[in-house]
Amino acid sequence: MLEIQNIHKSFGETTVLSGVDLQIGKGDVVVVLGPSGSGKTTLLRCINFLEKADKGEAIFGDIQVDLHQASKKQIQAIRKRTAFVFQNYNLFNNKTVLENVTEGLIIGRKIPKEKAIEIAKNALNKVELEDKYTAYPAELSGGQQQRVGIARAVALSPDIILFDEPTSALDPELVGEVLEVMKTIAKEGTTMLVVTHEMSFAKDVANKVVFMDGGVVVEEGPPKEFFENPKEERTRKFLRRVLPDDFIYHI
Amino acid sequence: MPNGLDIPFLIDTFFVALTGVPIAMLITIVSLLIALPLGFLLALTRINRMPILNQFSRVYVSFVRGTPVIVQIFIIYNSVPLLLGTIFEKYNINMNVYEVNPIWYAFIVFSLNTIATLIEVFRSAINTVSKGQLEAAHSVGLTTAQAFIRIIIPQTLVVALPNICNATVNLIKATSLGYAMSLPEITLKAQVAANASYNYIEAYIAIFIIYLLICSLVEYAFKRYEKRLRKYQIAPAA
Repeated sequence: MLEIQNIHKSFGETTVLSGVDLQIGKGDVVVVLGPSGSGKTTLLRCINFLEKADKGEAIFGDIQVDLHQASKKQIQAIRKRTAFVFQNYNLFNNKTVLENVTEGLIIGRKIPKEKAIEIAKNALNKVELEDKYTAYPAELSGGQQQRVGIARAVALSPDIILFDEPTSALDPELVGEVLEVMKTIAKEGTTMLVVTHEMSFAKDVANKVVFMDGGVVVEEGPPKEFFENPKEERTRKFLRRVLPDDFIYHI
Repeated sequence: MPNGLDIPFLIDTFFVALTGVPIAMLITIVSLLIALPLGFLLALTRINRMPILNQFSRVYVSFVRGTPVIVQIFIIYNSVPLLLGTIFEKYNINMNVYEVNPIWYAFIVFSLNTIATLIEVFRSAINTVSKGQLEAAHSVGLTTAQAFIRIIIPQTLVVALPNICNATVNLIKATSLGYAMSLPEITLKAQVAANASYNYIEAYIAIFIIYLLICSLVEYAFKRYEKRLRKYQIAPAA
């Protein structure tokens, strides 16, 4: 459903992505792992044109775009099929929780207001925030804000939701509630591309794990194989560092 | 009356000077209406480092800030008629440039001045709105223009409002310099009244009170408005 080919990106002298390919099928939950600075976030941002790639192509169902030279119209078309969940939530500070979700529906998707409110309420109920419709982001905890961020993405019913380290900015005790919500929407068949450091999420929810290092994909595969039987030395090194020993070797 | 203030004269002058308030407010409002959008757009050229416009804004701000308003008034008031005169002559427009209502010069001077102030006000205010707000707006399918109108500008305004209030109050006070262009605003009216009877102190006290009243009212109005806009900035519950 989504195919990324040969994506390159540098910031000045620093090369961040040097030829990444990625295939995601409908309903897939793909988790991207890797040390910081490996280009995971940049990859995600290039797919949604928050960053302009230097080179590369995306095939998105029936649309094929050059990631470097996409027209405004193409960018808008891709953005209409994707949704983004940010590390820092990036909720609209001047809008209520409900308005945060309806904004993209009414203004971006031109859905009539009443219908949009209905969709938004459904999405917010799914992330268990039915009592927060009229609250402003400043009144919410980080976990609640991120759940609004997820509801905002889900409400758009995009073909794929891109998650950029959705739990990295959260207090440890709030990580669980957000992962729980992500698990729920994954089970509903939502296609997801997730950059995260949460190994348990990768192991339990993903059906494909992609390991990136130094701007390239080092290894990819089903989580069971990836965690229990990594093929590349770089992967093993990474897993040794981020996982407790028994996690890798248990049967 | 050599001893004490001539209170009846003071009261009379107060009401005479009050008739200058509409002109002062007209200048203030027109200048703000011109300066707010232009100041905002030029602030954007500074932030996005747009070539040419960025340098232009920077030089412009330092020119306006580095010269007294009264000098700017003298220059505009004396040079624009000359310029217009030449243009009118060239295109055979039959119009006496010295009959142009001085309020037009006031609009020019005070707009140019306020634009410079507001460029700096908006520049710092826009920078306080995180880039993530624009990215999030893009990610849900808003165009850049929609994102600015619905998300960025409302948040910028809240931050900028105290400084916009400041600029407005300064502008109202600066309109008193309009007397140098024979504008029948508050100060000139009082001056004329005082010239007839030499009761300068009374006249100045009268307009002192008028400016104080107007500025206090404007400040109050801004505070109310700011409070309304700020409703989303509530201390975190948790």
